[in-house]
Amino acid sequence: MTLPSVLYHCTCSNAYSATNAPPPAHLPSSSYAFHPLSTLFFCEECDLVRCNRCVAVEVSGYYCPNCLFEVPSASVRAEKNRCARNCFQCPHCSNTLSVVGSDPPPNPNPRAPPNVNSSGDSPFFLFCNYCRWDSVEAGMTFEKPTGLAHQLQKNEDLAPETLEFDRLKDHFEPLLRASLHSSSSPAHPVTSTPMNAITAAANSALNRDIPGLRRKGRGEKHNLKDEWGVYRARIDSANSGVDAEGEVDFLRDCEDVNEIAGLEQRWGSSWAHSIKANDLEPLRVPLHSKQSKRCPECRHILIKPEQKSQSVRYKIKLMAANYLPLIEIMLAQPPAQMPTALQQRTAKGRPGAAQGAGAGASGNVTTVGAGADELGAGLLVSGRTYQFQLAFTNPLYDPIQVRLSVQRAQPTGFTLPTAGTGTSTKPARAPFAISLPTTPFPISAYAEAWEYDDDDEEMFMDDEELEDIIAGREVGAAGGMGALRGGRPGGAGGSEKGNVGVLERKANVTKVGGEVVLGKDALGEIKFNMLVSYTYRSDDPQSNADDGSSAANTNKTGTGEMKTFSFYSVVYLGTVGPRGATR
Amino acid sequence: MALNFHPPIHYAKSEYIETDTGNKVSRRATIAGPQNIILGGKTIIASGAIIRGDLRRTGPGHAVVISLGRYCLISDGCILRPPYKTYRGNFNYYPMKIGDHVHIGSNSVVEAATIGNHVQIGKNCIIGKFTIIKDCAKIADNTVIPPNTVVPALALFAGSPGQFVEDLPESTQELIDAQTKQYYSRFQPLEQQQ
Ligand SMILES: [Zn+2]
Ligand SMILES: [Zn+2]
Ligand SMILES: [Zn+2]
Ligand SMILES: [Zn+2]
Ligand SMILES: [Zn+2]
Repeated sequence: MTLPSVLYHCTCSNAYSATNAPPPAHLPSSSYAFHPLSTLFFCEECDLVRCNRCVAVEVSGYYCPNCLFEVPSASVRAEKNRCARNCFQCPHCSNTLSVVGSDPPPNPNPRAPPNVNSSGDSPFFLFCNYCRWDSVEAGMTFEKPTGLAHQLQKNEDLAPETLEFDRLKDHFEPLLRASLHSSSSPAHPVTSTPMNAITAAANSALNRDIPGLRRKGRGEKHNLKDEWGVYRARIDSANSGVDAEGEVDFLRDCEDVNEIAGLEQRWGSSWAHSIKANDLEPLRVPLHSKQSKRCPECRHILIKPEQKSQSVRYKIKLMAANYLPLIEIMLAQPPAQMPTALQQRTAKGRPGAAQGAGAGASGNVTTVGAGADELGAGLLVSGRTYQFQLAFTNPLYDPIQVRLSVQRAQPTGFTLPTAGTGTSTKPARAPFAISLPTTPFPISAYAEAWEYDDDDEEMFMDDEELEDIIAGREVGAAGGMGALRGGRPGGAGGSEKGNVGVLERKANVTKVGGEVVLGKDALGEIKFNMLVSYTYRSDDPQSNADDGSSAANTNKTGTGEMKTFSFYSVVYLGTVGPRGATR
Repeated sequence: MALNFHPPIHYAKSEYIETDTGNKVSRRATIAGPQNIILGGKTIIASGAIIRGDLRRTGPGHAVVISLGRYCLISDGCILRPPYKTYRGNFNYYPMKIGDHVHIGSNSVVEAATIGNHVQIGKNCIIGKFTIIKDCAKIADNTVIPPNTVVPALALFAGSPGQFVEDLPESTQELIDAQTKQYYSRFQPLEQQQ
């Protein structure tokens, strides 16, 4: 069972649909359309969220993940994408190998690793300090402790598959070069719809990599074979490589399955390689890359890392979290079920027991009438009503006005905000009804002062301070919305009754309450698509009027221009287990 | 970055010693050789943790054996032990340096040489001798990192032996920064006796 969560929609999943709306939450495709806010980017040009699935990725630098050396692109090619220093992977367990000398004489303690400093004597060999494999096993020793990569690469370069590949490359390179020249400018065509952009990007990517495809795809010439010429393989693949008879004999006599190299261990080498575990060879460590990311449509840079391989800073970093409000969710605990403060405290007494964001939240998830074993498990029971809270955090330096709605036009099987068991046309999905605040609600601007400053002695601003700030900045805000503190549901917050409405406003966070009524037949994951629209004044950060809370104030007389941004999110509330399972 | 639904984590006030710089150290933790240990401030050492500042390089005088930055968390039952090796016939311990905003989950054993800033280490991990973990990396729960491993920045490692799984999001630094600060502020004393 996973905890309640809110994920954000990227419109790239709609490339082939007419609208910008995500798929209904109950479809399997839904999981591909939504992402955690922290992984999303934002293109200011397009005014849209972008995700890792749709951004265009470019390598901005290569480095070895073991020695962390930054490898220039020219060397990357020559060294075949692997580290040319002394970095090797164990062929059995992939751990990094150490270079070990044969001297001093073997350690009397068999459990102690060999002397892991290359101060010993020739011959040297590679040793795995995890699975204890060594390269002597594979018949590999070295006279010097340095330059091993060079020796290994020489072997790699002479392998039949490498020679074949090089020959293929020589054969196709002139054609690739020719097609690059003939294809239109490298700049991407600017298109208006996401579908066009992605199709175009895919086309052009294909064009670049496989010249034949484009022409065939467009039904132009079919006589490409002539242009390519005939390729003759270096070796006849049918009669080379594996010693099939020897292999059969080996398998017949094999008594220990560990004598055979596993699929994972052989995955990276050619199929012609021996299947004996003993024949596995150490690998030079494959390089990693740092990546720049571009908007797939307008090609603006969204992510540009610093050059240094281990720097975690970015020259450009346009994350959606700096534009869209962060939405967090919690299933609310009704006042009647509230444990005494003491109980709560003992439950949380062990530090570290609740480390990390996800784990920390679990202790606080309680449902109406839930038994102890359901606490934190995300388990819901059909036929019941649950209240939940959504916390919205405004990252902008301007106050925003947020409006929520449950996605309409669910194709089938959904009942929408009316009630209970419902009007679903097709009860394939368990019916449930969601209530959300229907009037817009404000969230104050983000200000540096909201953050408890780590260099100050004062860790928190106390409540008085907060009230002063709120009162000073937003006249009239306190009345309807700000009054209720502590996030306790049940009190009347906004215009709506019960839990549904604004519950709390504090700094740049507004908490609102919602409700889900589960039908008798509710089963499986309870989640729904929520459209979030927020309005902000783009040019006038000083404006104070529209922060005043009530819906009537929405259309303001301020000087700045009002802008609205909308995005979809999917809210997962929990899972209804099969009947009987929860009782 | 806010974490709004995270309730306070209460501890018995009598169990923890709070230093001038806001470090909170459990009386049930074992701090050996405290004169050789540096805590950066606002760092929490939980109950049952063992920190071996006593395992220091031979020779006279003081030496920093283990240093921890700010906003770190050493959870229940963690063991921090400086790495050692025999070099040219001489056995010696080497110092361990841990950066800021580093959380280490419960019951993990750490013998690393260097851990950068904003690093997350899960629970029940073994971080082998002389391991180097760069900034913003993450070690999943139950991972075994063999000795001398290098974990690059922003990499997620998991498994046994620990392997690279994926790159972490570009926002990791801010995320961990907020989470570790939040954790510290949620970690609040309860006056009552336990
Ligand atoms: Zn764009
Ligand atoms: Zn996308
Ligand atoms: Zn390397
Ligand atoms: Zn190994
Ligand atoms: Zn752009």
